Amino acid sequence: MAAAPTFRRRGWVASVILCGPAVLLYGTFVVVPAVLGFAYSLTDWTGWETEPNFVGLDNFRELAGDERFASAVTFTLFETWMIVLFFTFGSLILAVLLDKLRSMKGLIRGLFFYPYILSILVVALLFKYVCNYNHGALNILLRAVGLGAWAQEWMADPDLVGYFIFAMVAWSALGFFTTLYLANLQTIPTQLYEAASIDGAGPVSVFTKIQLPMLVPTITTNLVLATIFGVNLFGQIVVTTEGGPGYRTATVGYYIYWLGVKNDRQGYASAVSFTVFAALVIVAIVQVALLRRRQVEL
Amino acid sequence: MKRRRLRLRFGWLEIAMLLAGAAFVSPCALALLNAFKTYPEIINDPLAWPEHLRWDNFEYIFTGMKLARPMLNSLLMCAGVIACLVTIAPMAAYSIMRRNMATGKLLRIFFLVGLTVPFQIIMVPMLKLFRMMNIQFTYLALLVHYVSWGLPLCIFIYSAFMATIPRELEEAAAIDGCGQVGTFWRIVFPLLTPCTITVVIFWGLWIWNDFMQAFIVMGPTRGQLVFVQLWKFLNDQYVQKWNHIFAGVVVLSLPVTVLYVVMQRRFVKGLTAGAVK
Repeated sequence: MAAAPTFRRRGWVASVILCGPAVLLYGTFVVVPAVLGFAYSLTDWTGWETEPNFVGLDNFRELAGDERFASAVTFTLFETWMIVLFFTFGSLILAVLLDKLRSMKGLIRGLFFYPYILSILVVALLFKYVCNYNHGALNILLRAVGLGAWAQEWMADPDLVGYFIFAMVAWSALGFFTTLYLANLQTIPTQLYEAASIDGAGPVSVFTKIQLPMLVPTITTNLVLATIFGVNLFGQIVVTTEGGPGYRTATVGYYIYWLGVKNDRQGYASAVSFTVFAALVIVAIVQVALLRRRQVEL
Repeated sequence: MKRRRLRLRFGWLEIAMLLAGAAFVSPCALALLNAFKTYPEIINDPLAWPEHLRWDNFEYIFTGMKLARPMLNSLLMCAGVIACLVTIAPMAAYSIMRRNMATGKLLRIFFLVGLTVPFQIIMVPMLKLFRMMNIQFTYLALLVHYVSWGLPLCIFIYSAFMATIPRELEEAAAIDGCGQVGTFWRIVFPLLTPCTITVVIFWGLWIWNDFMQAFIVMGPTRGQLVFVQLWKFLNDQYVQKWNHIFAGVVVLSLPVTVLYVVMQRRFVKGLTAGAVK
């Protein structure tokens, strides 16, 4: 604070040097396109060659009756539901188990985190291979142990493909969400555990009475991150099913991509993306507000 | 006493979790194993040990898939984007955090908003912008996109870190007549090294692994980055030659895997840095 006057002197020149490049780049290539995107949502712009015409709220009206959009929303919610459940609670259980390890900590954690550093294309190829009907490892294993009847068209069966996508996403990002929990678990003071063991508390009550309440901040973080992750599911679809079979696995993100890049309906695509974005922001705010109140102050 | 403790440290939990972890990464092991086989060998029995170690699949990814050039391109792209980010972002973070500007708070919000914008929203307007600037489908466009898109998170990470380092040094430098920009580069930037390492790991990995954004910004025909090239190769094939695919997957994942094994802690820390608040 004492140096504030000195700081202020050649203030704006320094500001421009320090902040200018960031503002310029981010402003031009992120903010301007985002604002333009919103403006385009009120037009019938088809993409490259044509000029956009103002059509008011027509796009949003069309959206209400769009069957493909409804199907995309249904599928996205189905995936998001599983992803949120798994990344908030599945990874919580894994983190608690990993936290109990007394040796080989680094190695075992490292194994679970590893898929997260792989490209989504690599993950997709591995899963495509493992789940291939004729010569995928999964079906071969099933046949080898005499469960050949369980061998499935994991990727082409409309009833199973949703779980295939989920398994792929769950596998690749489990380590990420688990690590966030582990970081939080390490902040729990050891006195709490000592007190619990003196009182003769078993692992279950340690979990419900100590770990769970202390983990609420990370549960909030993971819940919100997993929701965003699920709703924005997009690259994983492009590299595996491309929305198929039919448009069974088109997520909202994929639908926007399909409309804008492959179908030249950019105006409408913008309307879809802003509707989804608005919904996501509202959901995230509600989640944070609900869980903030449950945080334990120490 | 000592022996008893040793036995205790190797309980059933450790063994069970180790097995679970090994099962968890088994698809990767399968890819590695099958990268050394011929196509019929993979089809017949994916779990069998290769008859003999053959390297022709790995040769093929350079002759057939032509991955050598894209590997160089990806590496250069990583270097370029990281160089831009670690200069531009900390400067902006510094000026937002340390100056009593009236606009400081506004700028903070301005950049924070960027963390919430989904890629799909800016996708096509951005391509249109590149087209207007005559840099559509070029490496420059991709570089500009990566940097601008990465800036908000990068500034956010730097700001959070900057809040933890004391101001006294900077004030001393200011009293000694060092200017704002000089103070930043001579005093603050070296103190930010741990944060810079995080940023290098995060964006290095992200850009090397990125497929989707490179594919969209560079277009399906021009992109010459590693995973775009792999994707193009796959799309040109009628039959999925798994032996070639696995060799490609193994080679492209090898650099990140080696780095990950060598500095696991830094990797995990770097990759989860953006999520914590």
